Amino acid sequence: MSKKKPLFEFKDIHVEVEGKEVVKGVSLTIMPGETHAIMGPNGSGKSSLSNALMGHPSYEIVKGEAYLDGQNIIEMASDERSRAGLFLAFQYPLAVPGVSVANFLRSALQSHRGKDADMSDYRKLLKSEMAALSVDPAFATRYLNEGFSGGEKKRVEILQMSVLNPKVALLDETDSGLDIDALKTVAEGINRYHNADNGILLVTHYQRLLNYVKPDIVHVMMNGKFVKSGGPELALKLEEKGYEWVENENNNRVGV
Amino acid sequence: MNTKATMIQNSEYTISDISPELMRGPQWLRDLRNKAREDFNQAPLPRRGLHLWRYTDPGKFMYELNDASDTTYGDNYDVVEKIERHHVDEGTLAGLVTDLGGREIKRYGTEALAEKGVIIMPLSEAIEKQHDLVEKYLYQAISSQTGKFEAMNGALWNDGIFVYVPNGQVIEQPLHLLREAGMENSATFPRLLVVVGKNAGLTLVDEYGGGSMDEDKGISFVNGAVEIFGLAESKVRYVSLQRQTSATNSYLTHRAQIEQGASMLTIPLVFGGSLCKQNFGVRLNGAGAHSDIYGLLFGSMRQHFDNHTLHHHAHGSTSSNIDFKVVLKDRAQSAYTGLIRIENGARNCEAYQENRNLLLNPGTKAQTIPELEILNEDVSCSHGATLGSIDQESLFYLQARGIAKNEAVRMIVSGFVTTTLNRVPVDLRERIETFVAQRLEGI
Ligand SMILES: Nc1ncnc2c1ncn2[C@@H]1O[C@H](COP(=O)(O)OP(=O)(O)OP(=O)(O)O)[C@@H](O)[C@H]1O
Ligand SMILES: [Mg+2]
Repeated sequence: MSKKKPLFEFKDIHVEVEGKEVVKGVSLTIMPGETHAIMGPNGSGKSSLSNALMGHPSYEIVKGEAYLDGQNIIEMASDERSRAGLFLAFQYPLAVPGVSVANFLRSALQSHRGKDADMSDYRKLLKSEMAALSVDPAFATRYLNEGFSGGEKKRVEILQMSVLNPKVALLDETDSGLDIDALKTVAEGINRYHNADNGILLVTHYQRLLNYVKPDIVHVMMNGKFVKSGGPELALKLEEKGYEWVENENNNRVGV
Repeated sequence: MNTKATMIQNSEYTISDISPELMRGPQWLRDLRNKAREDFNQAPLPRRGLHLWRYTDPGKFMYELNDASDTTYGDNYDVVEKIERHHVDEGTLAGLVTDLGGREIKRYGTEALAEKGVIIMPLSEAIEKQHDLVEKYLYQAISSQTGKFEAMNGALWNDGIFVYVPNGQVIEQPLHLLREAGMENSATFPRLLVVVGKNAGLTLVDEYGGGSMDEDKGISFVNGAVEIFGLAESKVRYVSLQRQTSATNSYLTHRAQIEQGASMLTIPLVFGGSLCKQNFGVRLNGAGAHSDIYGLLFGSMRQHFDNHTLHHHAHGSTSSNIDFKVVLKDRAQSAYTGLIRIENGARNCEAYQENRNLLLNPGTKAQTIPELEILNEDVSCSHGATLGSIDQESLFYLQARGIAKNEAVRMIVSGFVTTTLNRVPVDLRERIETFVAQRLEGI
């Protein structure tokens, strides 16, 4: 068996937004086929980290390294990161008036495949992915996220992921705002996408998504740092005991 | 004879006499032309800094107009005429009227409309054949008292178009008016009078093209007036397309009056000219009257635009809505002034106004001035304006999906204009989309 190389790896990432350091040195390695989860209280820096990794201009990586499939992505613009195989499902997807879901995704896929690449399969692909995620076909001609309910937006984020089929998907609270059935559909979508060659880093507040999408490793993020990592049982424990437990445990350790 | 027409800019210009060619027709018309001439001569040039003239020099619309009878027209005219005639043949247009600077007005495919009692003819002809109708409405919405430049048009309009839709007739397909300004050193004074009867319906596309393409050879000057009357329960859609060439100074006043239960949709599409000042106004005269204005302006190079809208609620229980969008690139400038006036006695009115300005690069400049004159309390009114470059979050969203920055900008701008263009008749929309695409090239 050949030794596997990391699929996505970042080291000592520091992120500043509006001159304030909100991510204070986090590191992570995702091997092909792995699913990692980040949990943590509001404002701990989870979205800042995801946005910074995706190249959002307001979230500056002031220190650290990040490699996608061995490629340094730090100097890349966000569209290059996307084409290199990174995907971010947004916590709060924006509306883009006047741009239909179908046209938007066509342009995105065309960018991924190359300017002159054949797109004759696109309609079929979109149709089948929409069906798989129980997205009403009428959404193809609707303007992206405009007037979509919270759950519809999240579904369409996963639809975009399925069509673009990235190497690594960062899913920022894709489960929030979903009803029970939608949660299941979305989780199935994520599992359908997931295979032995790609990786998932998902941010969530709740155990319920993790019941469907099994994480290999769970990281707890507090105040801009990963303070604890463990197996799936960590998520259960957090749900039971709350973040205070991690805090106390860490304080004790430091205090001794 | 080969006297080259010349035009000299002169802020003191007065009209000494109106040419005999224009002084034909009945006495009342000659009287009104003379009155307009006097009003123009007497009215002082609007002072800079005064209402509506803060951003544009009125001297740019003052020209000594010598003989311009050898006016020529650009090649582009034939291309557009062909496209629109094709639409008539295909049946997607109810008819086409071409107007070469008032000198030659032709109709295509309007026979079927004539059978329904719709009257479409040169204004000069209508004055003879539809005398009572024309006398009743002409100069009623725009008079020589409206302003100095409206008086100028009132004295000098050299023919125009008259459209009348009888009570109860609903014309499904658009009627297209193609109005061509002369090239360099020409002055054109188009005029349009539209009367839409009770319970009648009309969609009108009023396209302004032509003009001078080379400032060194001389500019082209256009001063137009559009009067529209929508009688009770009528439905009027009016699209104004400005695509004059790059050395054209254009001044246009549009005034509509709509009666009880009538609705009016006005779509100013503003792309052309070097200096373009336009004023769109709708007066709501009866309960239940509703007016929408959806404007779209896309400026580039060194174009200067100055647009004004007026919603005048003269009657209670009327409603209005404005969404005026502006996109600017290069060193283009735009000023937008939106006035909502609600009369004292006009209770229970609703009026909304929004002006969004998208500035694609730092050299552009936009001004937005909402004005409210609300003379009673029983109204629901709001206005808003935004001004700025492309939203960074939207840009990031598209880029995060792999779309390169310049393409992402093009998509966002196309989206911004699409929500307005969706209201434009489909054939025309395709042409407009081409303008937009051309302007977005190289971004
Ligand atoms: N654009 C921004 N401007 C200013 N401050 C920001 C911005 N984005 C994030 N922050 C700040 O950074 C910190 C981390 O926010 P972030 O959104 O990353 O938290 P989060 O862990 O995703 O929280 P939640 O669970 O509520 O989504 C917070 O203090 C937040 O106020
Ligand atoms: Mg977050």
